Formats: sequence, C-alpha cells, structure tokens
Amino acid sequence: MKWARYLRSWEFALFALLLLELGVLGLVNPVFFNLENLLYSTLDFTHILFAALPLTLVIIAAGIDISGVSVMGLASITLGLVWVAGVNVFAALAVALLVGVLAGAFNGFFVSRTDVNPLVITLGTLFMFAGLAQGMPALLDKLGFKAYGSAGLAAYQYEGITGLPDAFIALTEGSLGIVPYPFLAVLFFALVLSLLLHKTRFGRYLYLIGVNPKAAVYSGVPIRRVLVWAYVFSGFGAALAGVMLTSYFTSARADLGGDALLPIITAVVLGGADILGGSGTILGTLLAGMILGFLRQGLLALGVTNDLIQVVVGSLLILAMAAKQLLHVYGEYRLKRKALSSRDGR
Amino acid sequence: MKHLVRSREALVTLLLVLLVVVTGLFNPNFFKAASIVEIFNASLTLVLIALGEMFVILTRGIDVSVGATAGLAAVVLGTTLNLGWPVGAAVLAAVLAGTLAGALNAFGVTFLRVPPIIMTLGTLGIYRGLMRIVTGGSWIENLPQSIKEPNLWGFLGVPFFVWATLALLALTAFVTLRVRLARYFYAVGDNETGAYLLGLPVRWTQFAAYTLAGTFAAFAAVVFTSQIGFVSMNAADGFELKAIAANVLGGVSLTGGVGTPVGAAIGALFLTAVHSMLIFLGVPGIWDNAFAGIILLVVVYVDYRVRSALELQRRQARIRGDAGGGA
Repeated sequence: MKWARYLRSWEFALFALLLLELGVLGLVNPVFFNLENLLYSTLDFTHILFAALPLTLVIIAAGIDISGVSVMGLASITLGLVWVAGVNVFAALAVALLVGVLAGAFNGFFVSRTDVNPLVITLGTLFMFAGLAQGMPALLDKLGFKAYGSAGLAAYQYEGITGLPDAFIALTEGSLGIVPYPFLAVLFFALVLSLLLHKTRFGRYLYLIGVNPKAAVYSGVPIRRVLVWAYVFSGFGAALAGVMLTSYFTSARADLGGDALLPIITAVVLGGADILGGSGTILGTLLAGMILGFLRQGLLALGVTNDLIQVVVGSLLILAMAAKQLLHVYGEYRLKRKALSSRDGR
Repeated sequence: MKHLVRSREALVTLLLVLLVVVTGLFNPNFFKAASIVEIFNASLTLVLIALGEMFVILTRGIDVSVGATAGLAAVVLGTTLNLGWPVGAAVLAAVLAGTLAGALNAFGVTFLRVPPIIMTLGTLGIYRGLMRIVTGGSWIENLPQSIKEPNLWGFLGVPFFVWATLALLALTAFVTLRVRLARYFYAVGDNETGAYLLGLPVRWTQFAAYTLAGTFAAFAAVVFTSQIGFVSMNAADGFELKAIAANVLGGVSLTGGVGTPVGAAIGALFLTAVHSMLIFLGVPGIWDNAFAGIILLVVVYVDYRVRSALELQRRQARIRGDAGGGA
C-alpha cells in the first residue's frame, strides 16, 4: 500500500497539476508540446528556483530569509567589478558566490545568536545588501581604484557592467543536448539539497527545529550551527541566481532580482512548506516553482500582460493556501469525530 | 514591561538626536527650521503607512501589502479626480478603496485562515497588478490644482499635512492608550488564546487591524499625491518593508502586544531623517538603503543585548532573594 501514500502526497498533486497545466497550455498553443521550447523557456525562471530551493531549508526550520533578492544584485555587481579589475571571469564568479555565502552566514549569525524575528533581521540585511550593491561602484572610485571608462566605476551603478566574456555568457546560452545548463544545474542543486534534507542528520535537525525549537535544544541539537548553515545555503542559492541572471542578461547589475520576492516565496509555500516551520520538501518547491514559471510563460505567450499575471499569481497563492487550510480544518474535524465514535463504540 | 518599551523608544530618539547634532556640526544649515520642517514633511507618507501597519503588528500579524494598497488608493484618487469628481468625493473614494483593500486582507487572514505573510504577499501582487491594469501602465498626470492646494496651506510656517498627521497621531495615541476597544489589539497580540478565553472578539479585532492598515495607507496616498501632484506606477513601492522597519525601530514588537503609535511615528521619522542627513553630510543618496539596514540591525541587536542583560539581572536578583528568604 506504499504507492497509495505517494499518490495522496502534496508533491504528487503538484506533479499532476504541472502535467495538466502543460497539457492545457499545449492545447491552446502547440509551442508548449515542443520539448526543446519548453526547456528553453525555463531560462526565464531558473533564478527563482535557485533562490527558492535553499530557502525551503530555512522555512522548514521556522525561519525566513527575504534578503535573497538583494543578494542577487550584490553577487551580480561583485562579479562585474571583480572582472573589471582584471580578474578571470570564473574566478570573479567564485568571488560572487563567496559573497553569497558570507551574506548568508551574516544572516545566520544574527538569527541564531539573538531571539529577534528572522523577518526583521533579513529585512535589515535586505536593505543593507541592496545599499552595498548600489554603493559599491562609487565606493571603489573613492578608494582610488582605476577604472577603464572616464566616468569612473560609479557609471556602472546605472548602466550595469557589460562586455562580459563569451565563455561566461555560454553558461546560460549553452545546453547539454536540449537541456540548458542552468536547468541542469537547478536539477543537480535540487538533488543535493534533497539528499541533504531527507537523508542526513542535518536535514532531520531542520525539521525538529521547525516543529519545536525548545525540544531541539534539550535533545542536544547544535541549533546555532544548523541554523547558520541553513541561511548559508539560502545566501549561496541567491548568489547562484544572481550569477545566472548576469550571464542571461549579459550584464552585471546591482538591481537584478528586485521583483523576485513574490514568486520565490510563492514557490516555497505552494510547494507545501509550512511558513510556521516543520514541513516542506525540496521536490515540492521544485515542482511548484516550475508550475508558476510555466504558467507565466504560457500566459505571456497567450498575450496576457505582466500585470495581470501578477494578479493571477497572487490570487493563486491565496487560494492554494485557503484550500489547504480548509482541508486541514476538515481533517481535524474528521479526526475528532473518529476519536469520539471509537470511544463510544467501546 | 513598560520601561522596556520606553527604553527602545528612548534609544531611537537618542540616536535621532545624536544624528541630528552630528549632522548639524558638519553642516550648520541643517539646524535651520526650514530643513527640519522639510524632514517632517517628507516623512508623512511613511509615518501614516507605519501607523496603520502598527495595528497589524500589535495583533502579532504582518502586512506586506500596505505600499501596494497606498499605490492603489492613489490610482483611485487620481483617476476619479481626472474624471472630474470634486476633491472631497475623490478623497473619499480613495480612502474607501484603501479600506476595502485592507478588509480583503482581513477577510483572508481571519476567516480563510491564510497566514498573514502569505495573504498579504498575495495581495501585494494583486494590488500592484490592478494598479497598472486600471491605468494601462501610464502615470496619472495633469491632476487638477484642487488636490495640490492643501499642500500649500500652512500655519505658523508648518504645512497643513504635518498638522493633520500630528493630530491623527495624537488621536491614535490617545485612543490606543485610553479606549477599551483599542486595548483589544494589545490583548490579542500578547496572548491570543487568553484573549479568546476572556471573551474578546479575537477575529474581529484582527479584522479591524488589517482594515485600519488599509485606511491609513489610503491617507498616505492622499498626502503624497497632493505633495507630488501626479501618480507614478511605482508610487509607494517598497514602503511595506520600510513601514515594518519603522515599527521595529520604534519599539513595536513583531511578537505582538508591545508598542505605541508615537514609537512607530518616531521610527518612520528616523528612517526619513537618515536620508536627509546623508545628503547634508555629502554622502550620495545611493547609500540610504545601506544605512537604513545597518541602523535597523544595530538597534535590534542592542535592544536584544539590553533585554538579555536585564533578564539575567532579574534572575540573579530572584535567586539571591530566594536564598536570603530561606536563611
């Protein structure tokens, strides 16, 4: 009877929904039945997945990280500036990812060492990282770094840094067969995070912290270290998203990813993670992110405007949550009824 | 508990005064009355939005749609004005629109039981999208002079809207402190189950909080539309996060039940003042966000250290007291 459990899982429902969605979109617009097109269109939302997948770990541990959207811009501009300074672009990429890890560690440090709400801390770092990203080019000018252009590095703040090498652009342009590299990377990232979450002690700790942090502390879970790592993964994922967008738009900009917050959190929550902690899976987030991404693509292809899509995504998020809550209430009710009747039966 | 709240407000006020003095030392122009009034004037939008957000945070909720609500209300105001409605009617329509937007959040949170952050994140997308759909994505310009007029009114050299906001703040402060119904916000946020068992209307209190957040966001929309004279599509963009930051700075706790309107207003004033001060200090405006973020982190961290030190002291005092009693 094990398969019956899988059939009833949230992930299976999401998978069915994804197939249904692609079917409907394909009937309306046959372009969606072309696998190559379909895979190519993932390029428009892989950055959402890169950020949403590790955010799942944070949310399972009853945390939240909204600073990721700023880390994207910070990683992007860092990559550009390091490259402008004459460093190999792939070394610059590594520096950008390191910045993401440090940003995550910073969040994790404050979250795990204080009792301050993670929303407040990452709100503070959201502003701080965005400000750093915007100010960095001008700051480097002040510090006397030589720039190529006459306007100095500060000019990059508005224009973005362009002219990145082809080898770097190829990271998003290239593909293995018909699977674009970024999507391949997302699948690999999801696999690693999934193993981490479901097959290691670290993963089980995250769930325990999310369900009952006090019980976690008393049972000897290294709660601080586990939390720091969760936020580090989140920062790293956001930096990956920033790097991917930089390659995709062929330009390093401080303001990349600014409007990604809604889709990122929608993906995690629709994926089945409880915003109060304790539940959620990587597979769920991956599927939900793809459902949202393809929905956007499909609606755009149908000529629906971006504004209306925003309304649709927002409504979808609310309706999905409301349905889930109502089912939950009904489930509790049934459970109580069952308990009552079995007691009466004795 | 009370002196702890005071300490956060005192801490931020102290920081504010310190920053003002330092800025004034570097650039004496800053002390001129005109620039102080200018800061107050510039802070009104955030103060109003933060005041509305305060009710929600007091009940232990969160509303990340208030910026979008303000934007939507501004669009209603601009559109109705350009349709030839009289100012009074247009303002009323805008306030109604904001209130309805807040009521929709309230409905989702209290009756559909959608977690607040998800409900309001959803409506953030919906309201922003609606704004652009209604206007077709273009700015609303050529507003009649009648809406810009109030911004020019003044008394004792202080603009009308500053007086109006101060009056509203005083009223809110009085009501939350003295009126029984308004204390429900604190009770529900401090201990929801306890409030329920006492027979308080928990759901309706939460409903009122989100609705009020919408109403106050609409007030803010009226003020900034009058001040700038047009409605852009990014009107009040990002203000939801700034409003939360203002509340946290001003000592309104996200864990609910703690905070005052004056605190929220000081927090909002502080965030706006940082912007003006940086300009007076000759720091480019691009550093605004970085400073706002760093200050928020420093304030909550210092506050945490002070709280844990006090808690430790209290415990030690109790241990000593117990030991003495036993002997």
